[in-house]
Amino acid sequence: MREIICFDHVSYAYEKGQDALSDVSVSIHEGEKIAVLGNNGAGKSTFFLLANGVLCPQKGRILFSGSAVGKKEKELNRLRRGVGLVFQDPDEQLLAGTVEEEISFGPMNLLLEEADVRRRVDQSIDMLRLESLRDRAPQYLSGGEKKRVSIADVLAMEPEMLLLDEPTSSLDPANTKRLEQTLNMLNAKGLALVVATHHVDFAWRWAERVLVFHAGRLVADASTKNVFADQALLQKCNLEQPILYQVGKALGLASLPRTVEEFIAGVKGKQ
Amino acid sequence: MITAILSTFVMWCLMQGAVPFAAQIAVSLATGIIFLVFGRHDHNDVLTIDMLARRSRFAAENAALKVWGTLLLLVLCVCSQSLWPPVVLFVILAALSTGVGGTSLHAYVSLFRLLAVFLLLSGLALLWDFSHMPIGIWNIPCFGGYLTMTAAAQASARLVLARSLGAVSCLYFLSLSTPMPEILAVLRKAHVPSVVIELAILIYRYIFILLSTYRNRRDAAASRLGFGSLRQSMRTMGCLYGNLLASSFKKAGACFDAMESRCYTGEIRFLSKKKPVTIFGAVLFGVLLVGTAVLVALID
Repeated sequence: MREIICFDHVSYAYEKGQDALSDVSVSIHEGEKIAVLGNNGAGKSTFFLLANGVLCPQKGRILFSGSAVGKKEKELNRLRRGVGLVFQDPDEQLLAGTVEEEISFGPMNLLLEEADVRRRVDQSIDMLRLESLRDRAPQYLSGGEKKRVSIADVLAMEPEMLLLDEPTSSLDPANTKRLEQTLNMLNAKGLALVVATHHVDFAWRWAERVLVFHAGRLVADASTKNVFADQALLQKCNLEQPILYQVGKALGLASLPRTVEEFIAGVKGKQ
Repeated sequence: MITAILSTFVMWCLMQGAVPFAAQIAVSLATGIIFLVFGRHDHNDVLTIDMLARRSRFAAENAALKVWGTLLLLVLCVCSQSLWPPVVLFVILAALSTGVGGTSLHAYVSLFRLLAVFLLLSGLALLWDFSHMPIGIWNIPCFGGYLTMTAAAQASARLVLARSLGAVSCLYFLSLSTPMPEILAVLRKAHVPSVVIELAILIYRYIFILLSTYRNRRDAAASRLGFGSLRQSMRTMGCLYGNLLASSFKKAGACFDAMESRCYTGEIRFLSKKKPVTIFGAVLFGVLLVGTAVLVALID
């Protein structure tokens, strides 16, 4: 698999002497599904802002598609274009008078031809099923709808990788389910997805790989299964094992279930 | 209530000695009653205008036509030397906004109320003067002199108020039929400096965020009995506004980050939806403009 982005011993501090992120090295490839765990203030958001080029590393370097990203606006824009960031609060992101205009903001910044911008906007609207909201004003949409628009915003820039900062934090169960379907659909198209979340159940169900941050350091980078098997790590980072993981373990199921369906099948198999 | 009393009184003054007594009573009272019945105040006026504009049946019309059309009407209104063209235009535009556009009469009058107080107070100042001699058509003895209203002052007040009424109805017609972003897009095409337009876009967007943040905080304060007494209310309001400023700064930083993350390079641009000029729109503005121009020219 082709490498998209690589952090090479990256550190960043908002205030001198207090590293928000220290010495992080990680590389992310095409088509991966990664969950980023860690408690508040662990460095997840800083990691995202660095990966998107809004912040620049103070130590170390970031490589995008194999070449190092400098501090010049042009190079940062190369990173911002290739790695899309969906902010936690859609209100911070939404800007325009209608959904269609809103989605066009990113492509317009790329100085594309109008026909190309229109194609990208239509494609994003189609992908996130926003057709009925096309002419509506973003400020009057519901939380779930705003979230979908904010994802479409970033998709219209045709990134190779998408970062989502706690996308499920303000969504009801129905919208969370819908979001998960959207994520799977995007992943099926080959997009690498990195999702910061507090929901271990979601991480267990959805991700293939987990990054755990603690006090600004990347303390674990392993498969979902290995991370949740590491009791000492979970305790240190105030994380818990997912419910289905615990239940599966307690019942001694051969393969630990990731979804309720898998759990039922597992239990039936055992009986 | 104050608007209603004020409007009744000003209308009465404007018509003093010019129309039959019965008509004077009827028109003055009718104006007051309209404000009393329909003019309930609402704190969400910014939102109301925006919402009404998006729902209006004129929203589908070409924005440039509406902006330049109403601007021309406004100029005609202000240039008129007689009070009738602006008054006729006001009646037509109000009827169009409410009847065809779909804005409810209640919403229209309550929005008008905002400006009415300002206009009426200016009207009073124009009408009444203090004099040592009873020189006017209506004189009220006061502190050894007279509050007087002269025929000349009455005539000029009528003209000024009629022009303002016409001008305001033009602007209301525009803002109740065209969402703000579309007006800004037209101004951008007219080469208004981009810094002005971008500030307006950002202000427009963040009014909503500021307003919702304010409401949340106010409700949170109210739920902890922050508005119990006058003293407490003052204190709470102080804290609330201070806090609002701090959180606005924080939010502004986050919003800038979000713009940068989508390759913002110093200019806000959107893909605008094309709304071609329709026959209905062209005919409507053609008739309005020609009609008003003819009326202004004839009466002059």
